[in-house]
Amino acid sequence: MNKRLIGLAEQALFAATIFILFLLLFNDRFVVPLWLQPLGRMHPLLLHFPIVILLLAMIMEAFRFRIAKTANPAVSEFYRDFLSGLLLIGALSAGVTVIMGLFLSKEDGYSGQALLWHKWTGVGIFFLASLVYWIRNKRWYNARIAQVGALTTVIFLIGAGHYGATLTHGDNFLFEPLSSQFKPEPVSLDKALVYANVIQPIFEQKCISCHNPDKLKGQLNLASVEAMLKGGKTGKLFVAGKPDVSLLLQRIHLPLDEKKHMPPSGKTQLTPQEMTLLALWVKENADVKKRVIDLPANDSLRFIATGLFKPSEQVEEFDFDAADEETVKSLNNDYRTVAPLAKESPALAVNLYNKAAFTAEKITELSPVKQQIVYLNLNKMPVKDADLKRVSEFDNLQKLDLNFTDITGAGLGDLTSLKQLQMLSLAGTSVTFEALQKQLGAFKQLKTLAVWNTGLTTAQIAQLQKSNKGIQFIAGFDGASSEPIKLNPPQVKNSSTIFGQSLVLQLKHPIKGVQIRYTTDGTEPDSIHSSVFNGQTVLTQPTLVKAKAYKTGWFGSNVATFDFYKSSLKPDSVNLLMPLNPVHQADGAHTFFDGRLGTFNANSPAWANNWAGFRKNDMALVSEFKKPITVSSVALRVMVEEETSIFPPSVVEVWGGSSRDQMKLLGTLKPEQPTKKIPPILKAVECRFKPQTVSFLKIIAKPVKQIPDWHPNKGNNALLLVDEVFIN
Amino acid sequence: MEKEILEHGLNFNRRRFLSRLSLGLGSAALGSLLIPDLFSGNGMDEDGLTPGIPHFAPKAKRVIYLFQNGAPSQQELFDYKPKLREMMGQEIPPSVRGTQRLTGMTANQKQFPLVGSFVDFKQYGQSRAWVSDLFPYTAKIVDDLCIVKSMFTEAINHDPALTFLQTGSQQGNRPSMGSWLSYGLGNENKNLPNFTVLLSRGIGNGQGVYSKLWSNGFLDSIHQGVQFSKGEDPVLYLRDPDGMNRQDRRDMLDNLAQLNDLSYQEFGDPEITAKVKQYEMAYRMQTAVPEVMDLSKEPDDIIKLYGPDCLVPGTFAANCLLARKLSENGVRFVQLYHQGWDQHGNLPFEIAKQAKDVDQASAALVTDLKQRGLLDETLVIWGGEFGRTSYTQGKLTKDNYGRDHHPRCFTIWMAGGGIKPGIVYGETDEMGYNIVKDPVHVHDFQATVLNQMGLNHEKLIFKHLGRRYRLTDVSGKVVHDIIA
Repeated sequence: MNKRLIGLAEQALFAATIFILFLLLFNDRFVVPLWLQPLGRMHPLLLHFPIVILLLAMIMEAFRFRIAKTANPAVSEFYRDFLSGLLLIGALSAGVTVIMGLFLSKEDGYSGQALLWHKWTGVGIFFLASLVYWIRNKRWYNARIAQVGALTTVIFLIGAGHYGATLTHGDNFLFEPLSSQFKPEPVSLDKALVYANVIQPIFEQKCISCHNPDKLKGQLNLASVEAMLKGGKTGKLFVAGKPDVSLLLQRIHLPLDEKKHMPPSGKTQLTPQEMTLLALWVKENADVKKRVIDLPANDSLRFIATGLFKPSEQVEEFDFDAADEETVKSLNNDYRTVAPLAKESPALAVNLYNKAAFTAEKITELSPVKQQIVYLNLNKMPVKDADLKRVSEFDNLQKLDLNFTDITGAGLGDLTSLKQLQMLSLAGTSVTFEALQKQLGAFKQLKTLAVWNTGLTTAQIAQLQKSNKGIQFIAGFDGASSEPIKLNPPQVKNSSTIFGQSLVLQLKHPIKGVQIRYTTDGTEPDSIHSSVFNGQTVLTQPTLVKAKAYKTGWFGSNVATFDFYKSSLKPDSVNLLMPLNPVHQADGAHTFFDGRLGTFNANSPAWANNWAGFRKNDMALVSEFKKPITVSSVALRVMVEEETSIFPPSVVEVWGGSSRDQMKLLGTLKPEQPTKKIPPILKAVECRFKPQTVSFLKIIAKPVKQIPDWHPNKGNNALLLVDEVFIN
Repeated sequence: MEKEILEHGLNFNRRRFLSRLSLGLGSAALGSLLIPDLFSGNGMDEDGLTPGIPHFAPKAKRVIYLFQNGAPSQQELFDYKPKLREMMGQEIPPSVRGTQRLTGMTANQKQFPLVGSFVDFKQYGQSRAWVSDLFPYTAKIVDDLCIVKSMFTEAINHDPALTFLQTGSQQGNRPSMGSWLSYGLGNENKNLPNFTVLLSRGIGNGQGVYSKLWSNGFLDSIHQGVQFSKGEDPVLYLRDPDGMNRQDRRDMLDNLAQLNDLSYQEFGDPEITAKVKQYEMAYRMQTAVPEVMDLSKEPDDIIKLYGPDCLVPGTFAANCLLARKLSENGVRFVQLYHQGWDQHGNLPFEIAKQAKDVDQASAALVTDLKQRGLLDETLVIWGGEFGRTSYTQGKLTKDNYGRDHHPRCFTIWMAGGGIKPGIVYGETDEMGYNIVKDPVHVHDFQATVLNQMGLNHEKLIFKHLGRRYRLTDVSGKVVHDIIA
């Protein structure tokens, strides 16, 4: 190496030594100017060089004397010069790194034990390396001193590296993957503490890598309760009870791109649930001692926290022996199942079904397995009060379902001998308040009691709850006091809405006690003026019926609209002169008089059945009447759905006469065409004319040839759909 | 006599003969290997399973699955994503979209603008779960629900996705979940089928459901789902023809059973006994079904709870009420399908009506089971076959948009049956496109359902055509975090 260059480097090394000594001496007094801060921040980049260079140099130094002794002179000389240069570069880079490190340590957020260790081991490396460099050519410097010096430097290198890593990656970075394998058993719910097991873990996962005693960003330390309560540079973390003004919550709720948002962007963010937990915790005065189960049962914090803990998996052990398999098998029949709770479980669950097949014997027959029954379902069986005595023999019964049975509560006392009974369902029975009040106290183990749909009032249940604190009462849904909801509209009961001469109007509603009001003049029915439906209405003309349903405690229904069509004359034979649209074949010519109406969605195969369609050619229907008829009106029921290009016919012509060849035009009709987007409708277009007596009737209906200009499909053929023809 | 025995042997159906043969050989082989289980086993078959009894103590005894067929959009119902509103109209970042396979309906779309929910969300209950304004009734019961936001599936179209969820395989012919449960647990009530199916249809864009979804596959046909339809005959062909009284029917069945028994003696085909069992079940159902289907005795409270439509046969509300009645009567698995959730376009209009159709009755079912003390033993599941995309399908206008199929994440909820109430499990990214926490695969979901019913999904096996089959195929982990 160039002598001059070496000289320069040696001078730099000396200068560095002086400068570092100066920095160490006046550590507390100097301030790093802003423009020098980036230099400090290059510390983590540069530090890798001295580590590698010095490691190599120290290993070479340790073997230096052996090489000098054994290798040939040329190699030995190269080894000496190379090592000397390596040591110099290593010491110098260590010096620069130390200076940068000292600058960086002045920045906010670095303090604590790890920093101290890192600082002094780092400085140690520099001095050791320099020392080795300066003394290595002294006469007294021998192999032993070289080895000791090299080893000490390497130890310092490892130490400084380790503490540096602790500073950046957090404590226990290295062994974390291993130690997480051996996580201690999670706490069970009954032992869990609000702070230690709910809040602190959030800090540990998301905050503590920067806010620990070693890193102390913003002077905040979340590692211990005391430090956490102390807060950080900006102040206390929270105002107990007031999450809205608490610093902690402000910071975590700032927008992500805000500089002060915590955790900083790039780090793992808090989940919404974690944010909610923190807010609730602060709201409830940020207590650090309470247990989760000390919170009230309906508390949000408890509710969410409960989800975080596993209740200790409790497999229920029974202290009785299993019943004989054959006996169990013989007790099973078509209306009673007796089955073990699980494979190898001695406990049995029993269900009874089919009201008609029930007798009290069905319960008594179970006595061979009376020890083993833990669950008995008598739901809807006509069980009487006296029968409960038979049930009381099942000593290990835990759950008894008596919903909708015939009991009155008088026999409940018999059940108090069941020491294991935890759940009792009495919904839908005529159990009385007095019976319960008198006997409930004797049920020591009972945890849940279902009394919904019984004669008990809300106040009575509240009173029972008061005197039986250990029991959870299930009062169920109370329809009477809930907000009213809307009734559904009435329906037509008549099998068809097409009639010949007259029809007795039949409307119905699925709910009992509903009043149906209706109009026949097209006006909206109301609850005061419109007629009440009583089944006496007779329709003789085509009628539009509008109806609504009313009942106290409910909102009135939406209006239901029904079209009743009169079709008094049915032809004896019909035929079509021109073909139907291939997609809408329906039942051919018979479609028009089959009494079946179509619905919307005619392009879907399942709903197309009743619609006869015409697009390319006219509808031309000839009907023959064996006996001449007098006719004055012909109506076609059509669909209008402009969205799918289904339009009413442009023209309807009715021809009639006494024979097929001699027909004259009786009347024409030009139905109203849609002129803008409209919702789809179904309607009858009627052509009226002077009464005529005819035997043959020809009906021509022309599909719209050119869809008008306002429509997206303008210029094309429209589709004409007809499901029924009414002749009167 | 010898001749008859020989003939009997010859007449044995081929597959049964082979399966018996292989069982014999298999046992011999196992025995020679001194498998300890072989000697300690107490009456188990070769798979260590006794069908008809749970493997361990079950949390749930019955399942009601409210299947929302067509895939409801999670963005408008449960998965609250304010970011999507902020980014309205912006292209979905390629880093988020990744290499997700798209359907033929949007694969050629030039742009994929993100679209936020048109409806607002609020937090409800003690669990502070977010629920959309479209679900006011569901919002009231969130503390009873476990909302899983991180379901994902493998299929991207309705039929394979439905089949996958119900049978564990995208191709048909496997047994449905209800059939597996029926096979694994046996009957609770011998007067009703173990597995029933109820269909309803909303106003939205619908997708078909097919009977293969409640097929017993290779299991005994007694495990097949029975469809209850609306109208006078809920179960088809159950009613006696006019003029036939119950005693005549009994006599006929007895004679028929004798004939069938002869047939069984001769051929040894187990399907013959299955058929006899079905006839007997049908006979008992003749009295049991009308009792269950009778809604006239339901009190006013119940009608108000489920909504007035619950008395209109064929509606979702009526099916929910029926589901409760069937379940209460011991039917293991009640499967509802509600069609009309496939909102490729016109989503805001359609989904509002769909939601209104199902909201009250779904919530009512949970409330009703709870008040009867049945919720802890009945598992209620609500959800579709996959989710919907965060970007719009077709044109995005100010107040209208659509969403395409999205298998990467969707939301379902479960209630009761030993599932943790009042929790929200799993998370999606802020654009609601990818799962970022606790993904739940369809097989994990199925494993969890079986687990709640007391069945180990790895042991509920049926051997067919030389292979052992499971509902969860070869994967699936029980999601222990959502189990109470």
